[in-house]
Amino acid sequence: MSAPATAAVPIAGSATSTGAADGADSRRVLRVVGVRKSFGRGVWPWRRHRDVLKGASLEVSAGELVGLVGENGSGKSTLMQVIVGLESSDGGEVQRPSRLGYCPQTPMLWEKLTVDEHFRLYARAYGLDEHASQATVADLLGELHFERYRSYRVEQLSGGTRQKLNLALALMHNPELLLLDEPYSGFDWETYLRFWEMSERRRDEGMGILIVSHFLSERERLDRVYTLTDGETVAG
Amino acid sequence: MSALAFVSGSFVREHLRTPVTMVMLAAIPVFFVLIFASVLGQFAGALGGTLAGGAASAISAGWAAAFLCGSLAFFQVSSSRGADRRLASAGMGAGRVALARITAAVALGVAVSATAYLTLWARSGIAHPAHAAAAILAFAFIYIGIGALIGAFVSGALEGSLLVVLVFSVDVFSGPAMTSTGGLLAYGPTRDAAKLLIAAGTGQGSPGGEWAAVTATVAAALAAAFGAFWLAARSRT
Repeated sequence: MSAPATAAVPIAGSATSTGAADGADSRRVLRVVGVRKSFGRGVWPWRRHRDVLKGASLEVSAGELVGLVGENGSGKSTLMQVIVGLESSDGGEVQRPSRLGYCPQTPMLWEKLTVDEHFRLYARAYGLDEHASQATVADLLGELHFERYRSYRVEQLSGGTRQKLNLALALMHNPELLLLDEPYSGFDWETYLRFWEMSERRRDEGMGILIVSHFLSERERLDRVYTLTDGETVAG
Repeated sequence: MSALAFVSGSFVREHLRTPVTMVMLAAIPVFFVLIFASVLGQFAGALGGTLAGGAASAISAGWAAAFLCGSLAFFQVSSSRGADRRLASAGMGAGRVALARITAAVALGVAVSATAYLTLWARSGIAHPAHAAAAILAFAFIYIGIGALIGAFVSGALEGSLLVVLVFSVDVFSGPAMTSTGGLLAYGPTRDAAKLLIAAGTGQGSPGGEWAAVTATVAAALAAAFGAFWLAARSRT
């Protein structure tokens, strides 16, 4: 593809490319405009491209819980990865804060390391003070009810507990923007409900949250919803 | 403790907590020096080469270090790609993750080389101990580069490990003294290190040109390994 790559411009601490900020702009923590992405399969001359994103656009403001819905394979996870920077895009623009939390759909963890070792690694990555991070970690372990697994290796954890760790790693630096890609897969019902309480509380404290979801029943919990259809986002 | 030391230590622990890796770390050098060496000598004889006895034992210690380090480096990249990339994008940065990975790979390489060296010493003694140690380390570091490069470009565990074995096999059978013409490939990655190791194992000296070539190859291999680890951990923006 010859189109320009995505320009990821941090919102926090620097000017946005949208010019003078009005009230809504100043609260905005994520702006995605016309993001395109295609994947190639096969080898030349049989190589074929599939356009997954054809101009996806969305916005999230501080204190908003926004849903991103769509059929399987519609490109929700790809869009999340483009926002985070784990995937490149073929065009479009992403403006996001530098302090963001990302909870991928499939836990990206080290099988042989313990829960505590994961927290310590991420504390270093986020640049957190050791004592402050210990308090935050203790709170998260309590909120998600998995304190007793601190010394367990990831390979010894159930799918649901892995997912709790996956989520806690995204939250431990209190991000301005939280990106959640179906974060509750493997959760039991009580943890699922607790997850929504946690998300709503953080939303009320001013965090902007974008969550990939495909349950109709969850729509009432969301402030706004974007539907990803045929590679484009539709608000509402 | 610095972030780099902490992250490197975590990556080393990943491997030390794999029982099969620990067993292989002890078993492969023993297998290579005690059994593979004589098989290699027989192959060399059939191909018209001169590799035999102490030279075959010495070079087998190098091959043991190479095989283990190539495999470990490949799996360092392929099995942790997603987790490393997430850590890098969380603020650690691809450069620091890559540096931690290569530090861990070198630490494991030193441990693997020490095991191979001790096995060789116990088997047949070493005429030039310091030269042999340097040459075995060179084998290890060169294969860290090869394993990491394969890991960066081949995502499948099966395909990647088969490719490591293929490169290793071609390298083994194209080594010096393997054939009457001096080897199938004139410029295999470990060719100069193999000459050093054969010389060290059989009590001969090594010319300065071979040391310079080995140093350059090791530097290039470690640079390639860093590039491969960085490539696997980098953001796509």
